[in-house]
Amino acid sequence: MDEYKFVGKSSVRVDGKVKISGTAQFIDDLDFGPNLLFAEIVESKFAHAIINSIDTTEAEKIPGVVKIVTGKDFPFRFGLYMHDRYIFAQDRVRFVGEQVAAVIARDAVTAIAAAKLVKVDYTELTPVLSVQQALGDSPFLIHPDLKDYHHVPWFFPQTDSNVAHLRKVRNGNVEEAFADSDFVLDDVYTVPRYAHCALEVHGAVGLLDHSGRLTVWTASQSPHTQRHLFAEALAPLGFQHKDVRVITPFVGGGFGGKAGVSMEILGAALATKVKGNPVKILWSRAQEFYNTYQRQGVVARLKVGVKNDGTITALEHTLYWDAGAYVEYGANVVNAAGLSATGPYRIPNIKIDSYCVYTNLPPGGPYRGFGYSEFLFGLESHINELAKKIKMDPVEFRKKNAIREGDRLTYGAKMNPNGLMEAIDKVAKEIEWGKKETSSDPNKVIGKGFSLFWKAPAMPPNASSSAFLKFNEDGSLNILVSGMEIGQGYLTVLAQIAAEVLSVPVEKIRVETPDTDRNPYEWQTVASHVTWGCGNAVKQAAEDAREQIFDLIERANGKKREELYLEDECVRSKVEKDFSLPLKNFIISGIQKEDGTFRGGPIIGRGMFMPEFASALSDPETSQGGHPNVHYTVGAAAVKIEIDKQTGKVKIPKVVLAVDCGKAINPDLVNGQITGGILQGIATVLYEDMRFDDKGKLINANFSDYKIPTAMDIPDLVVPIIIEVAQPDGPYGARGMGEHTMIPAAPIIANAVEDALGIRIKSMPITAEKIALAVKNKSKN
Amino acid sequence: MKKEISFLLNSERRTIDVSSSEILLEVLRDRLGLNSPKCGCDRGDCGTCSVMINGKTVRSCLILAIEVEDQEVVTLEGIMQNGLTPLQESFLKHNSFQCGFCTPGVILSTTELLAKNPHPNKEEIQEAIAGNLCRCTGYSPIIDAVIDLVK
Amino acid sequence: MAIENQFEYVKAKNLDEVVGLLQRFKNAVILSGGTDLVELLKTGAVHPDVVIDIKGLDILKDIRLGNNILWIGAGVTFSELMDSEIINEHFPIIAEMSKTVASVGIRNRATMVGNICSAVPCMDSGPVLSVYKARIITDGQIGERQIPIEQWFVGNRKTALFKNEIVKGISIPVPDKKHSGCFVKLRRYAGEDLAQVNLAILAFDDYSFRISFGAVAPTPVRAMRIERLINRMKLVPELVEKAQQLVEDDIAPITDIRATKEYRMHMAKVMLERGLTAAIERLNGGGPAYGKSVI
Repeated sequence: MDEYKFVGKSSVRVDGKVKISGTAQFIDDLDFGPNLLFAEIVESKFAHAIINSIDTTEAEKIPGVVKIVTGKDFPFRFGLYMHDRYIFAQDRVRFVGEQVAAVIARDAVTAIAAAKLVKVDYTELTPVLSVQQALGDSPFLIHPDLKDYHHVPWFFPQTDSNVAHLRKVRNGNVEEAFADSDFVLDDVYTVPRYAHCALEVHGAVGLLDHSGRLTVWTASQSPHTQRHLFAEALAPLGFQHKDVRVITPFVGGGFGGKAGVSMEILGAALATKVKGNPVKILWSRAQEFYNTYQRQGVVARLKVGVKNDGTITALEHTLYWDAGAYVEYGANVVNAAGLSATGPYRIPNIKIDSYCVYTNLPPGGPYRGFGYSEFLFGLESHINELAKKIKMDPVEFRKKNAIREGDRLTYGAKMNPNGLMEAIDKVAKEIEWGKKETSSDPNKVIGKGFSLFWKAPAMPPNASSSAFLKFNEDGSLNILVSGMEIGQGYLTVLAQIAAEVLSVPVEKIRVETPDTDRNPYEWQTVASHVTWGCGNAVKQAAEDAREQIFDLIERANGKKREELYLEDECVRSKVEKDFSLPLKNFIISGIQKEDGTFRGGPIIGRGMFMPEFASALSDPETSQGGHPNVHYTVGAAAVKIEIDKQTGKVKIPKVVLAVDCGKAINPDLVNGQITGGILQGIATVLYEDMRFDDKGKLINANFSDYKIPTAMDIPDLVVPIIIEVAQPDGPYGARGMGEHTMIPAAPIIANAVEDALGIRIKSMPITAEKIALAVKNKSKN
Repeated sequence: MKKEISFLLNSERRTIDVSSSEILLEVLRDRLGLNSPKCGCDRGDCGTCSVMINGKTVRSCLILAIEVEDQEVVTLEGIMQNGLTPLQESFLKHNSFQCGFCTPGVILSTTELLAKNPHPNKEEIQEAIAGNLCRCTGYSPIIDAVIDLVK
Repeated sequence: MAIENQFEYVKAKNLDEVVGLLQRFKNAVILSGGTDLVELLKTGAVHPDVVIDIKGLDILKDIRLGNNILWIGAGVTFSELMDSEIINEHFPIIAEMSKTVASVGIRNRATMVGNICSAVPCMDSGPVLSVYKARIITDGQIGERQIPIEQWFVGNRKTALFKNEIVKGISIPVPDKKHSGCFVKLRRYAGEDLAQVNLAILAFDDYSFRISFGAVAPTPVRAMRIERLINRMKLVPELVEKAQQLVEDDIAPITDIRATKEYRMHMAKVMLERGLTAAIERLNGGGPAYGKSVI
């Protein structure tokens, strides 16, 4: 049945032509005129050291140097969820590459040359480079003043330790349940750090004009959050929010890496020191690796009990997150993972401890999956091992324990409607689960792996979205929002939602990237929430416009509003077949009465959305009582792999992923998220990882040695499956699914490797080398 | 060292002064206003800076501007002189892009492939774009667009 | 990133000019494809007074076969090698190797001569030139020199080239016996990567072999002991196993970011077996097509 005219259709992207023609402007494509200055950063050479002094005299002598800025210029602590970072390092540095000073010059070459002449005198301290070291006996405290840091009320820093936040979840009695279990399995899984590797690096251009107005152009997923943090961090300089403006052009890939505020604060801060001149700061690819958010590593201890009939009785999950030098954003990843570390399973007795641990490695932060990819590697590996122990088919085992609508979530609220069972069945069928396959090549073995996944948006309970919608003379319209188009196709989805309400085709709707002065508030484009949150705001704005239209027709034409509807860009009547008034005839100019006067005026719709049922307040010892997550998106995935036992190389003939997105507003875009996300996930398990030397320096800060997949590294076949069990509060039933497509990649591969070889690899990545050497060692023993 | 060089850029003869140490990518972007080639890694690994010299795609971040004297340089802007190419239309149809940052480079690499081999198979397409990193699409929508175009 | 260091740029018109400039300027470098050099200029690892561009020298662009000698000029790119009929017909493992170098946008610019002048241990050209008994032809103030490939590589990024010399090209004698071969490259994934281990094998119709490993020592390693063991022998599994054991004596891989020495050693043996098998099959008109990886 054709329920909708625009929603559920794969319309051509509204940002299509601008992108395929190379016309789309990214931060480095904007022109700032001949007055533009360039900044180069003086970086810490050490992972942990006291700054004794900074000598800038030699650098200042270089012609073309305009200004040199150090930590003394900005002694302000700030952050998103916890105020634990500085614009420039103050008395100490906490990771290799941390910004210590900046040289601003007339051209980039001069800035680079002069930055080399800034002399920083350090006293080296012992670097803390692992969670084990950070939590060991009398560890060196990376943030001695932790207890004084301002933070959101749902964080619980542990005084006099390197634990910035501990999320505890308790329900039932795990000890009793383990004792009652027929089998208890205990193991440790480790996941390293990863880099987002958006093809566009971070950049910012700041301009403080002589009237006191600060404008910052950024490559960002979070223009309003950036404005807020810039205003807040620089408040001692007298800025009000109205004086700060963030303009964000197209973003060349985000994946969480451009969420919040990372290096962009430098653009804002430096601008205040060179009034009247725009100043540009653009990261190199190496800086992109070591001085933006990284996906945090985790060491996860898992203990799960089961009954012989396959019922999971209890779960104890202890997660130690290597959160890096500053955790102002990363601590919320730790929090989110802690609240959901059961995975999509119904488990009556749970004990979860999720530790956010400071280390002297680069700051951790959001990355597509927001902690779920990391814990799911261990959890879904563990689920398979448990199934094996009780001799149950791993898919049957999952189905027996999979969470259902109305089941109790870790924190006590009820699970939302979902199509998890449908996803499991469809994926199992597509991958031909249970059908054993053998290779004709004696060196090769074939294995299959299965995993469920889930994820909730991790947002403050009052994270909100808003939208304006304005008509033009010809009945075309512009939608103003502040969510970011980061590749996912969000602008198109919003256009489709407005089109559905207003009967205006997508081709007549323009949605563009935001300017915080002109576009209404959006919290951030993260958490896979914008289709849901901002989609709701746009739907409401469109409905607001529609109601205004009906008001006007009622008032000017004397029609009953309940008889009116919109179709083909006209107002029509259910009772008067001949009545059809094109929107363009009155949408700006109004409707003329017989006496020559007009009724109406430009129609402008307004919408906003805040999940008013959410709350982050709960008992800190158990996490019971609140409603921190608005809903979960669930799904299942499976893979068939072929392993060369000698080389360890893994080929992927087929991968299947089913996700319940509630309603696919644009199925092609959903499929695009699946195809892209699954590959990004497969790369994390097969070859990517960040490598640090014993001094804490990242040694693969480039694409020669941090390998991201090429066109030759894709699965032979990716089968996306869309499940649609409506989200009651979503626009047309939609909920987010962008991050989710990456989450199950690691465990499906790990489980398939085990299926093929009988070898359980418990640390990521599972490289060809690791597989080959494990096979070799196994055959030796 | 400064030198006046003259070269064919997107079918137009251009003459500019360049310093011997200037990089082609930066001259194209900052001095000639052509923004389709992007800087993604600055060391030849990612392919976002791809342009064509004498019909072959190259990494403009690894070329001195002064090297292109008397050569023919084509950027993505240069292949659209009669509007979007059928290849670009096929990209549009297949959603063969997401953020759009790698797209100019991918289109140029594919354009070179099709000029040399009008009916490439899947493997040949993969090989041709293997030097263009894309973090968004998972590549198969790009491959599909080319296959659909040449079938 | 712009280049900080300033230098003169000369587009050479003939070889004599190049030789003269190299003599006149102590700190001159040759620019051909530039895929290595420009990166080194950017990072400041190389800071010459003069950069001599040799792309204008048509004489260096030849791929030529005459008197049973193949000539590959210094300006010949990997793409040109891959597309060359001469190469594909007579020296298929040069084409097979070229296909594994980086990706199209680099291969369109990078040259084989540049590859062996950079002489990083993981280069792909080294083992292939080694089994073909190539000679490197240089020119300079002291005149032309012909350097046998086994004397060319003297260490990590070090060659027998004098500072004031230029490589004109590479000459390779056409093997006098019917032959086939196999180039095997181990990399972290199917896409562009530097070699973890690479291996070139030539198999002749008298069942003699030439074998050379790369990326397992500072310079390419001709596996003479293995060659002696298997030459003119039927490659039964026991013999292959013996040959694999000899790999341990012939190469000395290290652990670095791309692989551990254990994996390199393990894979060198696997690659040897598969490379030999493929080479022999190809000799007999079968086997995997050139360019199709055997690992």
